[in-house]
Amino acid sequence: MAFLTWLESSGLSVWVREGESIWAFPTILTLHTFGLGLLVGASAVVDLRLLGIGRMPLEPLRPLFSVMWGGFWLNAVTGSLLFGADATGRGTSAFFLAKLVFVAIGVVTMVSIKRSAFDAPPDAPAGSPKLMAALSLAAWTAAIMTGRLLAYV
Amino acid sequence: MFFGVNIPHFHLLINHVPTVGTVVGLGLLLLALVRRNDHLVHSSLEVLFAVALLTLPVYLTGVAAGEAIEDLAGVAREAIETHEAAALWAFIGMQVTGLVAWLGLWQSRRNSRASRSTVASVLLLSVLTMAMMARAATIGGQIRHPEIAANPEAIEVGAPTGWLTSEAIGGFVTDFPWVWPAAETLHFLGLCLVFGVLLAVNLRILGAMKGLSFAALHRLLPWGILGLAMNLMTGMLFFIAAANQYTQNVAFYWKVLFLGLAGAHFLYLTVFSRTWMLKVGEEAAPLDKLVAVTGIGLWVGVIYWGRMLPFIGNAF
Repeated sequence: MAFLTWLESSGLSVWVREGESIWAFPTILTLHTFGLGLLVGASAVVDLRLLGIGRMPLEPLRPLFSVMWGGFWLNAVTGSLLFGADATGRGTSAFFLAKLVFVAIGVVTMVSIKRSAFDAPPDAPAGSPKLMAALSLAAWTAAIMTGRLLAYV
Repeated sequence: MFFGVNIPHFHLLINHVPTVGTVVGLGLLLLALVRRNDHLVHSSLEVLFAVALLTLPVYLTGVAAGEAIEDLAGVAREAIETHEAAALWAFIGMQVTGLVAWLGLWQSRRNSRASRSTVASVLLLSVLTMAMMARAATIGGQIRHPEIAANPEAIEVGAPTGWLTSEAIGGFVTDFPWVWPAAETLHFLGLCLVFGVLLAVNLRILGAMKGLSFAALHRLLPWGILGLAMNLMTGMLFFIAAANQYTQNVAFYWKVLFLGLAGAHFLYLTVFSRTWMLKVGEEAAPLDKLVAVTGIGLWVGVIYWGRMLPFIGNAF
């Protein structure tokens, strides 16, 4: 708690929260939305393909993982800044902790799909990419839902 | 104010497009069916999709125009409300027509013609929409044109009744506090769908994922249109329930402009021949790459202006 209070009163957090500049809270929040679109949008394309939408070959979709990681790191940075600006509120919110759990599940499914459906040698047992794809869609939906609810509860 | 044209003026400039446009689209479709001409069917579907896009700014500026003139002398206030309710029905009819027309275009790109049931649905929907447009336009005309009524006393059309009015939608959102956050969640999920699908398709044109033909990724476009439809529905819910947050909001009009252009770009990706021809490993022409970059830029703009609604504009 002392850490959260310290973080929230740090110069950077105060600037994010109270800065009059369009580059403070508004731009960081907008970048967070772009990161969301990149990460979840690219994941959704791979998930839909694994669930049987379109019979295109899988391998060429590989560059989408760079898009996902780009979105992930953009949101890790902007998300940390947004967290710092309201550390005592977010850090003690059940919704926020739930959101982190869902994001973690989303990232685990993403890594697992990459390993089992893209990187594994063709003769290796592929696990169940369909199950992972469904779990991935569910995790990102839940992460977006809890994230959005943070603005209202 | 853009070049001396304010928002109510803009409504007057474009408000005939949906009425005339549905007549033109429906007329082309009938002609196509009589002549048994698939190309003409295709063109009529494109016209109807474009009219659906243009109907969005007509409805939105109409709400702003209503707010601006409702207290002026010589304006039939009840007629404004009745016009708005009729316009909402016509707007929804037009969007559903445009959506089914899009499906027909997607089918004709893939199978060289739209399915019979899709064309029949578009025919039926555009007849219904034309009737709803005519009704909305007639009531709209009476707001400030007493000379066109046979009996000027009869202009007071009466307050709108029925379950689908902006008052009813506003009440729904106020009565159930979960509606707005739930719609926000859907709005963000829709964003991911449309942005993700279009990003993948545009990246293919730009040269990534060349192991796929364009046609393979084209298969995903209905998921993009699903995201767009989700966001149109939830977005209209926000606009209708809290119109005063948007009608005076400059970021909102920028968002609508970018959205209209992004919609046109979506149509281009659906039907354009040269990108459709891209086989596995083939490189797109430089001009098509430029259009793909523009398409990504348009969606970035839509998200940017949407997120900036409360900061550059005055929403919330």
